[in-house]
Amino acid sequence: MLDQPNFRTANQRQTILAWVILLPLVVLILAPMWHFLVYSFVPSRIQFDWPYQWLPLQPTLENFLRLFRDDSLPAARWFVNTVSVTLVGTTLVVLISSLSGYAFARLIFPGRDFLFYMLLIGLMVPTAVTLIPAFLLLRDVKLLDTHLALWLPALANAGGMFLLRQHFFSIPKELEDSARVDGAGRFRLYWQICMPLVQSSLVAQSILSFLFFWNDLFWPLIVLSDRDKLTLPVGILFMSFRGGMGVYFAAGVLSAIPAIIAYLVFQHRIVESVTAASLAGR
Amino acid sequence: MPKFREYLPNYLFVLPQVIFFVLFLAWPVFRGVQISLFDWKIMANTQRFIGIQNYLEVWRDPNWWRVLRNSLTFTVLVMSINTSLALMVALLIKQKFRGSAFMRAVFYLPSVLSVTVVGVIAFRVWDPQRGLLSYVWTGILGQAMVQWWTPNTEMMILVLTTVWWTFGFPMLIFLSGLHAIPNTVYEAASMDGAGAWQSFLRITLPLLTPTTLFVLSTQFMTHMQMFGQAYQLADGDQAQSVYVYLFITSWKYFRFGYAAALGVAVTVIIMLVTRLIFSLFGRRFEY
Repeated sequence: MLDQPNFRTANQRQTILAWVILLPLVVLILAPMWHFLVYSFVPSRIQFDWPYQWLPLQPTLENFLRLFRDDSLPAARWFVNTVSVTLVGTTLVVLISSLSGYAFARLIFPGRDFLFYMLLIGLMVPTAVTLIPAFLLLRDVKLLDTHLALWLPALANAGGMFLLRQHFFSIPKELEDSARVDGAGRFRLYWQICMPLVQSSLVAQSILSFLFFWNDLFWPLIVLSDRDKLTLPVGILFMSFRGGMGVYFAAGVLSAIPAIIAYLVFQHRIVESVTAASLAGR
Repeated sequence: MPKFREYLPNYLFVLPQVIFFVLFLAWPVFRGVQISLFDWKIMANTQRFIGIQNYLEVWRDPNWWRVLRNSLTFTVLVMSINTSLALMVALLIKQKFRGSAFMRAVFYLPSVLSVTVVGVIAFRVWDPQRGLLSYVWTGILGQAMVQWWTPNTEMMILVLTTVWWTFGFPMLIFLSGLHAIPNTVYEAASMDGAGAWQSFLRITLPLLTPTTLFVLSTQFMTHMQMFGQAYQLADGDQAQSVYVYLFITSWKYFRFGYAAALGVAVTVIIMLVTRLIFSLFGRRFEY
């Protein structure tokens, strides 16, 4: 996206203008985050003392250590839960949406367009109407308070299918044809020929799913109740100020850091997938 | 159907997606409407059918109208601030300059945080006694202490916190929309003597219409479903959004039938307005 032909470089006057207007905005975004990071290293008992600390005056790890030692706030447990929920959930979403994305882009079968439009309409339905029936269904099959209850409903969302379908479309037909002549079956065409070619979209979708599972609050709050099964966003909500302000901040940092690292590493993929989403939305 | 055996394996590719779609989306929609017609109690063996009585109760429920008004106010405020801010920023960083990539990265950064973390941060920013804002206001600017967080300002705090959290997404969408407009159009316009403001009004805005529609409709959908901010930051029982009300009705008072009716009402409103955005703006512009 940076190398688009109509991407012109600004002249000096425009650069200065942009910096003057946008610098306050940059500060407004970063200052609260910096504050949050700094104060996770400030002991709870002096959290509210003056002077204000732009850098921790007596930096300490006690907030983080408390998170891993205090059994009433099993944040280490929540962290592990969140990691496993995120990894398994992301894998499932990418696998299932690549299968269906491939089929809707490359395969022919009766009812294809009908199914496709059903999935499309499904994307526009707000969760308000499906929450209670989905909850009751999970209760009836005894899956409440398990991590399966987090994964299964997420697989109903066809957003990943749309993203990957776009990319599967762009693969030249000849490529598949020549492999077919060599005797490759449908599944091999999908897995060995096409999947490696859409790698960038697979990464993009993985990041989107990663952030979704890592950050989701609403649904886990509804289906999880056992304290030891919670994910970080629900756990932090549950712990609130119980361990003191510093511990609360430390838990927040624990939840924020992996998401921020993933973002910084895969920034370009995120930008691309957001762009692709907006194109699909048209 | 001669080639049906040929087609059959193709269904295997879409089967998993379709199964989960049916189980957790299509069927729940019908089931949700059905439950809304019952006096549904979670522990009961048989549920009592009461027709549209839940809907009549929604209509008469002052709390429903209050949370709906709150959610609409919240959504309209966030949408307008987010959209105009995002468009302005996108126009400014559209062209490459020293630091433009850094800025783009910073502006999207809060969007990757969970709403819980945003809540944790917001607590300490808005805290009237020892918050970051108070520190800047009294400590650096030397002003008298202000009680930022009152029942009257709560909505504004939710709105500003949400803008801080979410405006990066529409900004990225606008950026890609702007990059899709060929430069030759602008060059032709400036040759015809159009100024910057004129080419913004006559070229950028009209050509950006599909992007703007996408931004407005997704924003409306997202922010009408606002839950975490209000649940964490505002007073729980004084629900500030329809989703918090829905949550409390079902998982605190266990009135599933009534909550299902609320859910149907919210869904209809969101889907109708999203359509409306398209038909209103779609007709006015040619693209």
